[in-house]
Amino acid sequence: MARKDFLDIASLSREEVDLLLDQATPFKELFTRSVKKVPALKGKSVLMLFYEPSTRTLSSFEVAAKRLSADVIDLDVPHSSVAKGETVKDTVDTLQAMRADYIVVRHKMSGLPQAIARQTRASVINAGDGAHAHPTQALLDAFTLREVFPDLSGRKVLIAGDILHSRVARSTSSLLLKLGVEVGFLGPGSLIPRSGPEGIRKFTDFDEALRWNPDTVYLLRVQMERQDAQYFPGVQEYHRVYGVTRERLDRIQGEGIYIMHPGPVNRGVELCHEVMDYERSLINQQVENGIAARMAVLYSLKPQTDLEDADPGKI
Amino acid sequence: MPLILDEAAIGEAVASLVGEIRAVALRGRIAIVGVRSRGDEVAERVSAALKEQEIDHDYGVLDISLYRDDLSHLAENPKLQSSDIPFQVDGAHIVLVDDVLFTGRTIRAALDALTDYGRPARIQLAVLVDRGHREIPIQPDFSGVSLETARMDHVIVQLKKTDGGDAVELVSKQ
Amino acid sequence: MPILVKYKVEAMSLLIKGGKIAAEEGPLVPGDVLIVDGVIAAVGEGLDVPPEAQVIEAEGKIVAPAMFDAHVHFREPGQEYKEDIAHGTEAAINGGVTGVVMMPNTSPAIDSPAVVRSILERAREVSRIPVYTSGCITKNRVGGELSGIDGMRQLGVVMLTDDGDPVANPAVLKNAMEYATPFGMFFASHCEVAELSGPRALNEGKISYQLGIKGSPACSEEICMDRDIRLAHAAGAHIHIQHVSSAIGMETIRWWKKMGAEVTAEVSPHHLIFNEEDIGDYDTHYKMNPPLRRAEDNAALLEGLKEGVFDLIATDHAPHSTFEKEQDFVSAPNGITGLETALVSLYDRFVTSGQIGWDLIVKRYSAEPRRMMGLEVVPVEESKPADLIVFDPAGETTFSREFMRSKSINTPFLDQTLQGRVELVVRGSEILLQR
Repeated sequence: MARKDFLDIASLSREEVDLLLDQATPFKELFTRSVKKVPALKGKSVLMLFYEPSTRTLSSFEVAAKRLSADVIDLDVPHSSVAKGETVKDTVDTLQAMRADYIVVRHKMSGLPQAIARQTRASVINAGDGAHAHPTQALLDAFTLREVFPDLSGRKVLIAGDILHSRVARSTSSLLLKLGVEVGFLGPGSLIPRSGPEGIRKFTDFDEALRWNPDTVYLLRVQMERQDAQYFPGVQEYHRVYGVTRERLDRIQGEGIYIMHPGPVNRGVELCHEVMDYERSLINQQVENGIAARMAVLYSLKPQTDLEDADPGKI
Repeated sequence: MPLILDEAAIGEAVASLVGEIRAVALRGRIAIVGVRSRGDEVAERVSAALKEQEIDHDYGVLDISLYRDDLSHLAENPKLQSSDIPFQVDGAHIVLVDDVLFTGRTIRAALDALTDYGRPARIQLAVLVDRGHREIPIQPDFSGVSLETARMDHVIVQLKKTDGGDAVELVSKQ
Repeated sequence: MPILVKYKVEAMSLLIKGGKIAAEEGPLVPGDVLIVDGVIAAVGEGLDVPPEAQVIEAEGKIVAPAMFDAHVHFREPGQEYKEDIAHGTEAAINGGVTGVVMMPNTSPAIDSPAVVRSILERAREVSRIPVYTSGCITKNRVGGELSGIDGMRQLGVVMLTDDGDPVANPAVLKNAMEYATPFGMFFASHCEVAELSGPRALNEGKISYQLGIKGSPACSEEICMDRDIRLAHAAGAHIHIQHVSSAIGMETIRWWKKMGAEVTAEVSPHHLIFNEEDIGDYDTHYKMNPPLRRAEDNAALLEGLKEGVFDLIATDHAPHSTFEKEQDFVSAPNGITGLETALVSLYDRFVTSGQIGWDLIVKRYSAEPRRMMGLEVVPVEESKPADLIVFDPAGETTFSREFMRSKSINTPFLDQTLQGRVELVVRGSEILLQR
């Protein structure tokens, strides 16, 4: 896979998807060794450009990079003051001095990693941009699901919550569709896109959605901080109508349905406390697999920083 | 395509390796570790032969892609496969097995990989074909066949499980 | 910036020979055109060549009245790094345009006679073509106090608009309309409902979902169009709807015209040619306000242009620096340049395929815009002032950086080669452009 950047799922071919998923397994195997490091990225530098707060994704990427023996630089960006792309462009320009080989970007503006990727020879990895994409999340989700269902085609996954604002919903549904999984969206009518992707069933009623017989329910965090207007009348009503309540968990448990969540969870909103102890919750595996998936991505990309005759307009 | 070794010749080479390794295995427990790819298939055959003779030993497979010294220079990184080292490496007597020994860099990578699993007591090297042109001071302890080759020649090894048939071909780059 | 050369032909006598003359009505008519001292002296086939005349061969080429763009942004005063009157007018000439109407969302805004005066003076200094300007409806376009309407009127302003934004409070707009209409002024509307538009980045639909950006639904534009037309109708005002992007919105205009309301409307080349799918991978060359909508809208708007629902074509020429357009999609400013590419792109996309003819182009991009501004039209006819272009349908134009006269190059046509070429622009006794 001779690819410089990892920006979204849409641009991946089926072969690239299969390759990345297959590559995650040997990286997971490394975790059982006493020495978890391998020298594959020795001498390379990985720059973290996280404009949005995130402990779990940031540390997951850092661990992945360090286990590949790369040098990790965390550009401590003030979370609050960045609103305009200008500031990011100036930051990208100063990277010239650092000669970063990989840049991992998380930003609230959709499309920003794309803009950076066009302007730099480094490999750019999208760690989440606005409501657009979170491709490494999708990868670890598919990888986790494949551990339970080795043959994914024909399986059904119900993604529930604030679909409209969710980059996880977009990337994960996109990847699952590529793998032949049937995807359904469940959420309040105001949070389900009407011109959404083709081939996805849309539900606004949880019980009806469960009658569709999904193998897995993928819960999204209900994003209070992204909402400019009120899309539903408050968290209690949301939990009752669209959350995994105790009663729904009983039903889910009875039918052996798995539960996934990209984290962090909002207890009492999209799920009740008991879900965290549910034996068919894959939430912890998702976290574990995140490192392996991100190692696979870092390993599979090729930055152009070694090229001598590369475009002089790029840094 | 100039065929250098046919199925029979390969069988003889494997048998020769087995003979030498057997002697070592009888003196103390060894671990056969095949280097992917194709080194693992050779290791499988050696291991099967030892099992037939009821010589107990450990067995593992190593993928060295992550340890290669030329990753920065490749346009595309090699496809990674899992390694499988199910035994304790600390204190083990390991016999690394590979199909072709050439510059020695693959084995250097294998040594690095192995030592990240633990600290072996001893490591020996067994190769099916030694084609010379070392770039690193690494020599085999056991080799099935030695080939005279030119540096730019291609030595193509094919094995049943990986490629569908047994053959070693030498293609000269003129 | 090319050298500003004014070619004044001595005892000016210019013969454009062998071309085909375009007019608002009717087909192309072969004919020579003789211009003497800035006036069209004769039009006809096989004209005699006066001995002192400069002859320009126009065999196979179109001789058309020069174009007039009723919606341009020249960024002067305040943002001259993007564009200024000098460069903007040269860009106009480069595109076969000899008259423009500036929009008032400058800094300071054009909301008082003082600013109007400085603009007109500046234009006199640096521009080779007449420059008209609109004035704001409200001070600084914030939608509150009314601007210096009469003062601006005294300086020749006829169009009032808060372009860039709608007037949020309908009562303010209605009062302004009732006040200014008796002066003979008219209103132009940039239509959208601010609360619905989100970050004003792109159309709400399939692409906005894919790209993960909150889109502007077409109903935002449609609601405001409807509102502004009704207000104008109630106030007895002439309202001109700017840069229409929505097919349903266009039907609103059609209906109100049928009802006898005094409404005119414009459409831009980019809303006829491009749609949201062209945005691709967050390409800001396809980001403008109102946004590109769907292919169905392209088709419907073109039909509307042919049927006369749209009175004129206007580019909404919106220059921005490369640095600004290189930002992420939401942060990048809205708009593309249009003066230099409009005529060629319309020819390349629609005339070559026979969808529209030169009569429509002359009517909608030369004649009607002038009429709306109360100016004389400039047909290629005997005794009319010379204000014309020669267009080579067989030629090609490559919109390279070197070709552009504008300070900005934010156009989706950058480095593309299109069919058609503006070869000559003549106004009065001056050859403004000759290739």
